[in-house]
Amino acid sequence: MLGPDITWYLAISAILFSIGVLGVLLRRSPLIVLLSLEIMLNGGNLALIAFSRQTGEGTGQVFAIAVMAVAASEVVVGLGLIVAMSRRRLPLDVDRLRSLRG
Amino acid sequence: MIAAAWICLLAPLGATLVITLAGMRISGRTAGWIATTSTSVSFVAAVVAFAKLLSENPEDRSHLSTAWTWLGTDQYHFGLSILLDPLSVFMMLVVSGVGSLIVAYSIGYMDGENEERRYFAYMAFFVFSMLMLVQAGNLLLLLVGWGLVGLSSYLLIGFHQERPSAIAAAKKAFIMNAVGDATMALALFLLILHTGSLDFGSLIAISSSSSLVINLVALGLLGGAVTKSAQVPLHTWLPDAMEGPTPVSALIHAATMVTAGVYLIARTHNVFELAPNILDLAAGLGAVTLLIAGLIALVQTDIKRVIAYSTMSQIGYMFVGVGVGAYSNGMYHLLTHAFFKALLFLAAGLLIHALAGEQDMRKMGGMRVLMPRTYWLFFVGGLALVGIPPFAGFFSKDPILAAALAHGTFGAILWVAGVVGTFLTGLYTFRMLFMVFWGEPSAYAREHHHVGPGTWSREGPLVMFVPVVVLGVLSVVGGWIQVADFWTPVSNFLEVSAPPLVTASGTQEAISSIFAVAFGLVGIGVAWAIYGARRAEVPSAPGVQSALEHKLWFDWLYDRAFYRPSVWLARALYRWFEQPVILGSLREIAAGAKESGSLVSRLQTGLLRVYALAVASGLAVLVVVFISVR
Amino acid sequence: MNDWIATILIFLPVAGALACFVFPVGGNAVASFAVLVSLVEVGFWIDAVTRFDFAHGLQFEQQASWFSDLNVSYHVGMFGFSLWLVGLTVVVMAAAMAYAFLAGRERPRAYYGLMLLLTGAVVGVFTAQDLLLFYVMFEAMLIPLYVLLGVWGGAGRLGATFKFVAYTMAGSLLMLVSIIALGLSQGTFDLAQSGTSSSNWIFLGFAAAFAVKAPLFPFHGWLPDAYREASPEVSAVLSGIVSKAAVYGFLRIAIAKFPGPTEDFRTLFLVLAAVGLVYGSLLAFRAPDVRGVIAYSSLAQMGLITLGLFATNDLGFNGAVLQMVNHGLISATLFLLAGAIERRTATGEFLLLGGMARGRPALATLLMTTGVIALAVPGSSAFAGEFLVLAGVFQQYWLYAVAGAVAIVLAAMYMLRLISGVLHQDVGSAVSDAARDLVPAELAILVPLVACLLALSVWPAGISEHSFPSTTSPSTSAPARFTPPRTPAVPHGSMSTEGGISP
Repeated sequence: MLGPDITWYLAISAILFSIGVLGVLLRRSPLIVLLSLEIMLNGGNLALIAFSRQTGEGTGQVFAIAVMAVAASEVVVGLGLIVAMSRRRLPLDVDRLRSLRG
Repeated sequence: MIAAAWICLLAPLGATLVITLAGMRISGRTAGWIATTSTSVSFVAAVVAFAKLLSENPEDRSHLSTAWTWLGTDQYHFGLSILLDPLSVFMMLVVSGVGSLIVAYSIGYMDGENEERRYFAYMAFFVFSMLMLVQAGNLLLLLVGWGLVGLSSYLLIGFHQERPSAIAAAKKAFIMNAVGDATMALALFLLILHTGSLDFGSLIAISSSSSLVINLVALGLLGGAVTKSAQVPLHTWLPDAMEGPTPVSALIHAATMVTAGVYLIARTHNVFELAPNILDLAAGLGAVTLLIAGLIALVQTDIKRVIAYSTMSQIGYMFVGVGVGAYSNGMYHLLTHAFFKALLFLAAGLLIHALAGEQDMRKMGGMRVLMPRTYWLFFVGGLALVGIPPFAGFFSKDPILAAALAHGTFGAILWVAGVVGTFLTGLYTFRMLFMVFWGEPSAYAREHHHVGPGTWSREGPLVMFVPVVVLGVLSVVGGWIQVADFWTPVSNFLEVSAPPLVTASGTQEAISSIFAVAFGLVGIGVAWAIYGARRAEVPSAPGVQSALEHKLWFDWLYDRAFYRPSVWLARALYRWFEQPVILGSLREIAAGAKESGSLVSRLQTGLLRVYALAVASGLAVLVVVFISVR
Repeated sequence: MNDWIATILIFLPVAGALACFVFPVGGNAVASFAVLVSLVEVGFWIDAVTRFDFAHGLQFEQQASWFSDLNVSYHVGMFGFSLWLVGLTVVVMAAAMAYAFLAGRERPRAYYGLMLLLTGAVVGVFTAQDLLLFYVMFEAMLIPLYVLLGVWGGAGRLGATFKFVAYTMAGSLLMLVSIIALGLSQGTFDLAQSGTSSSNWIFLGFAAAFAVKAPLFPFHGWLPDAYREASPEVSAVLSGIVSKAAVYGFLRIAIAKFPGPTEDFRTLFLVLAAVGLVYGSLLAFRAPDVRGVIAYSSLAQMGLITLGLFATNDLGFNGAVLQMVNHGLISATLFLLAGAIERRTATGEFLLLGGMARGRPALATLLMTTGVIALAVPGSSAFAGEFLVLAGVFQQYWLYAVAGAVAIVLAAMYMLRLISGVLHQDVGSAVSDAARDLVPAELAILVPLVACLLALSVWPAGISEHSFPSTTSPSTSAPARFTPPRTPAVPHGSMSTEGGISP
């Protein structure tokens, strides 16, 4: 087995995830919230790949790829929304975007 | 023979169906003839059955024929069966015989009415129902007949649908009879529970049950009998029922249906004999009724109501008869009463018909001059009613009194009531006769007396008059077929079905006859002195008179005790329960849902981070739970 | 084992409904098509009657697996009593659709489609032998009713629909929970194969659902409005057959599958039923309009039928089934007659009606005949049913039968009030000469219904002896036999202990 013990990978994964969580909870800009979400997902991905490598199965890697695809599409939708909001001159602040109007 | 009994039962039903389905395609008169023919067929069939029955040994004279199981379950079966025995064939003869005469009379009486067809359909249906009642082969079918005669009585009392009083009287009759039906049904439930059957044999099988059960069964049956026969205290519907056309009063409310209670007690005598207290109660109610009805009849001014109260009074005698166990005497009085009471009603109908529907005796007077034949017929009926020999009532009423005398102390009290009742009978009957027929013709009578063109005499059309004459003859000779103590074919015939509990001695017969005739004559004499010769003033007793004119406040009492409370209860339930609780509850539920919804919606702040925090903290809680549980 | 008749009876009207929805044809065409389908349905039912063997239990079975791991299957079949209720359904639905054809309804394709769908669903309820299938059919029956009531009803239809939906949804959810619980605990959803359960909660869930739908006192808050606001034929269907689906549920599921809880809660249900019987009769007596009287009398009759069912003996069960059919025919006929009266006078208020008998013999005869049958005059089929029910419940406790006897008198009072209020006395202000007698088309609808009632009056044993397989005759297989738990009658002379009155 090459490289460091799995504990290190998991620790980094947890740190990444926590940074993401804090970012989602604390920041107001939707752009940064999206960024933080990506960090959370990547923390998850790291854990999946680490486990996959430890067990020697490919399942975790497949999952990681699926998560990446989801993350990419999510970013597309999210960025699209942000662009649309800024075009309408809406405030780019999640605390002020409180109610939906049809 | 049993085929004859079925024909007897079904012929009038066939007439009803034919008249109903033919509708406007036949004339009213044709409908009348169809109904008359069908009842005559019934009568002939009844005679055939009677003759066949006579040719058999007395012990074998009971035949049960079941067409199919009318109502049944896995364990219980109640057949559509008819019973042919002396008791039922006796009633079949009375019902179909008197019925044919009265239906024929109706053809003249109802001529020119708007809805004659409906009338004859109902009449034929009544005869069918009554035959169903008397031929029923088990108690369930008896109850069916019992209810159907109540229905046809309702339909015929309310025949003049546009008259509110007629509709009210019809409803009253039906609802009071429904009470009787209900008590009978409860008695039947008890029988099913304790014997598993509703055959007449179950009335014997019940003897193994507790005396409470037997008494309740007898009481339930008596409740039906008392209502149907208009005995105190459930009698108030009968006088009001006089709203129906007069032939209806004659057939249903005098000759046949109201006497069904007597038939019921005779038919179910087994259970009554096991409950002697209830049987005494029946006799006591009969005695009370015959006095009360006789008294109230004294102050009535409507000719039909006088006869109606007299009917109640006479059925009171029959109840005394069957109540002391002299079943055949009660049944025999039922027969003669059917003759003379139908005669009185139909003769009164001739008067009413000739006087353009007027029934108030105070507006009549001197009708003897205008309608002499009717007068004589009425006179015969009156004498038969009072029980003067040699008319029919004498031969049938006095044996009842004699049997009461042979019944011990209680019987002696009944006997006194019966003899006093004879006095009252003489008084009210001849008060009516003198008021209507004697004296000078009143202005009203002169003005309105007409019988229409093309009729046979000044009395009425032939089709009306002939049945009255036949009944008049029967009211005389009808009594000669049985002379108590010497010649008793009727009793001998009936005793197979209902053996008597008491036998009166010759002395008792003689004493009863002497007293009854004497009191009857005294009654007639008093009536003559006051109303005929007008030698005495009408005795003045305002309190008594007012009490009698208010019919002793029975109607008032029932109105206050039952009708108004139920109306009030219905309204109160709607106002205080249905409206606020049942219908209002939904409004409350809707309001509650809205309230809780707005509470929950406050959680939806719209702040993204609050949601995220909720998700995160929920996750954290789950993690802690999982870890700590493992 | 594989007889198509039940499936045909369910899916023929459903196919008809689809045809109504799909093909764009005119109003009269779609109405005649719907009536034709309903008559064919009656024909199939007659075929089923002629082939039914009344000595045995479940027949005309057909089964196909649905969710095999949960033992859910499409399983249909008929018992004797199901057969009679299916007959009631097809006959009343045919009459209702014919009446709608006569009265004319807007948006006919949707209307007749829903009516046909309803027919199939009700037949499904009566034939389903699988719990989940029963539930599906029960819901499929309610949805068309919501629409029929909410779209084609009278002025206050929205409130009425809301109440109806609110009540029945609550009942349905309870039933779904109970069905899942019962099915999982039994390991099968098949009604013919599952055994009995002793869970009080599941029983109460079912009972509450059926009590709301029947309705039983005091769950009848939706009833007066729904019966008043629906169009007459929908009211006829609602009170005539949909209410029977609920009491059928009592018989087929609540009582048959839960003998223990039935015993425990018997007194509760008998008291509710008896109170409802008297209460409904009293309120019918004060109702100011024709439909109000019929509505509250339906409540009373549901109480009576429940009395019979919870008597759990031979007399009670048979009487209840007979009375279900009777009441279905009676209330359908009365509602259609009420519709005919309303069409002529534009009102159902007794204050404005009266005197309609004169010159309208057909209307008078039919209303009088149905009315006297409805008030259970001895000799009528309704009398036969009530007699059996009360005789049965008398064996449980005499007081229920006394309440029933009181209700018989009250029934006479309210029915005669209805008859007189419409037919007799002074001509009401809403009754003009333009209000004609029933036309032949209306007679063609109503006379068959009344004829059914008269035929039943002549031979009520036709139903009461042919609803349950005889307990003495040999049966094909145990599950195919329907044996509701029966309580033996109180033995002779022990009334003082059981009945509570001491000599």
